[in-house]
Amino acid sequence: MLPNIDVRIANLIKAMEQVVVPALPESERLARDQAMLVVGHLRMISGQWKSALRFEQVALDALTDLAEKLAGIVAAPFAGQLAEAAQTARKADRGSIDGLEQAYNALGGVIDNVILGGPDHASFPQAAVDVLFDYGSRQARVERTWFKAIGFDPDRADLPEIADVL
Amino acid sequence: MSVIDNPAQVAPVDNVDIWDRDDMEPRVKEILDRTVRDRPTGPYSAKTDAEIIAMLQRYYTAQGLTGIEISQVQRMAGGASKEQFAYTLRHTDEAAGERLVLRMDPLEAISQTCRGREAQLHDALGTVMPVAPVRGLDPDGEVLGQPAIILGFVNGVTEPTDMKGRGVSGMGSSYGEWADKLAPQFIDALATLHDFDRTGCDLSYFAEPEPGTRQAAIWQVNWWSKLWWDGIVQPVPIVTYAERWLRENAPVCENTVICHCDLRIGNFMFEEPSGKFTAVLDWELAHIGDFHEDLAWACQRLFGMYDDKGEFLVCGLMPRAEFLRRYEVASGNTVDPDRLRYYEVLNAYKCAVMDLGQAIRAATESNNHQDLVLTWLASAGAVFLAQIVQLIQEA
Repeated sequence: MLPNIDVRIANLIKAMEQVVVPALPESERLARDQAMLVVGHLRMISGQWKSALRFEQVALDALTDLAEKLAGIVAAPFAGQLAEAAQTARKADRGSIDGLEQAYNALGGVIDNVILGGPDHASFPQAAVDVLFDYGSRQARVERTWFKAIGFDPDRADLPEIADVL
Repeated sequence: MSVIDNPAQVAPVDNVDIWDRDDMEPRVKEILDRTVRDRPTGPYSAKTDAEIIAMLQRYYTAQGLTGIEISQVQRMAGGASKEQFAYTLRHTDEAAGERLVLRMDPLEAISQTCRGREAQLHDALGTVMPVAPVRGLDPDGEVLGQPAIILGFVNGVTEPTDMKGRGVSGMGSSYGEWADKLAPQFIDALATLHDFDRTGCDLSYFAEPEPGTRQAAIWQVNWWSKLWWDGIVQPVPIVTYAERWLRENAPVCENTVICHCDLRIGNFMFEEPSGKFTAVLDWELAHIGDFHEDLAWACQRLFGMYDDKGEFLVCGLMPRAEFLRRYEVASGNTVDPDRLRYYEVLNAYKCAVMDLGQAIRAATESNNHQDLVLTWLASAGAVFLAQIVQLIQEA
């Protein structure tokens, strides 16, 4: 692709930093704030866009693994619902971000219902909590790494590079 | 595993139904229902100066003022939640003019709250701590077109001028030598607020959770879980489990107090060079509840930082143990570590709901005056997911 996406994002950042932001009066605080946020988002996107499909694949795979593990722990009818939903998720179109997101949302809805125990608030066994926390810790680390460039994470120095978690 | 992590070991302590999602303050429910009702009326656009002048002219005309002149309209920076403008009002009976601040709701924000509640707290607390005076109120936007409060302008800064550009914004900040000036006032504000006698105050927009029950905690869980489920963009299993844990482990609150619920150092305005506080800001999340909720909020990792020795500083001011010890001395309250931990989980849950739920919903619908800020803040959401897991495991 010519010009490629990296070059175009770099052009956008340069134009914002060297032309647009300096042209904004100091008194235009909202405009200046927004312009700097545009730059920040562009910098973050420049480090993410090539991995965006892989990110969604990893997210869905982790959620599907969670559903399959929970299916082996929780009681009926939740176990069957999870197994069926996981099976459907495994068939998602892995070449489409939209398709992966749709599969994630559908499976996530089933998992949510199991966690809450349905309308009767059935128990959620400690073994299931352990599995959930193992998933939660790993997935949070992936997502913190994905967004570490924002600079909010107090422990960002301990996070790996995006390529290391995908 | 602690007792608090195993509700089966705890005998029923009250008649609170921990799964009754409608058990919350009526005004909060009204605001949240209004959010869902009005969501499809977007998108929302940032107001222009001309629009603000027209809105204010309409408001003051309805108030019966004549010879109205609105000038020096200036949008105020910041605000992931409310849209704010400073302006000067002159009219027939006030020729000299008064500098004021219009603080109003965009169609949707990172949190959905009530300007009437803010106004009542400003009025009630003005005698015991510095807060901006209330100069006007349109709690349901009947005249202005959107809910708003008008406050007297207060001079001061929320970050030291000599530290600007070093990332000091009340989030992930260290206040360095300013800490000696700010920390005592910060502790005093917390103690003063929690000791405030609200008897006789008009707090009609608030409801009081029943002391000696779990209602104070459950009302909060219901507030934030409703916001989550009403606007959910994508399921997050840890958020869902946190809600369940918070219901099943809700602690009893014996004595309720007014909680600010966003009382971090970035919400104090102060003079330079004295460091004297001139205003406590952003009362929108305040409610009547358990004082541990405020302490837990201040202790959040996102609002603090590590010092050179690797020790974490609460709000960039002081180590956690010192913060809690100084609070106990100033307030006379005894900090219960289990309750504090519960409210740390609740606050991480609230932040996750704001970042991964409401902020993204509002930005997706294009219903905020700065959607870009919301998606920026939402990027911090996973920090809270990691904290929820860690905090519950340690409970």
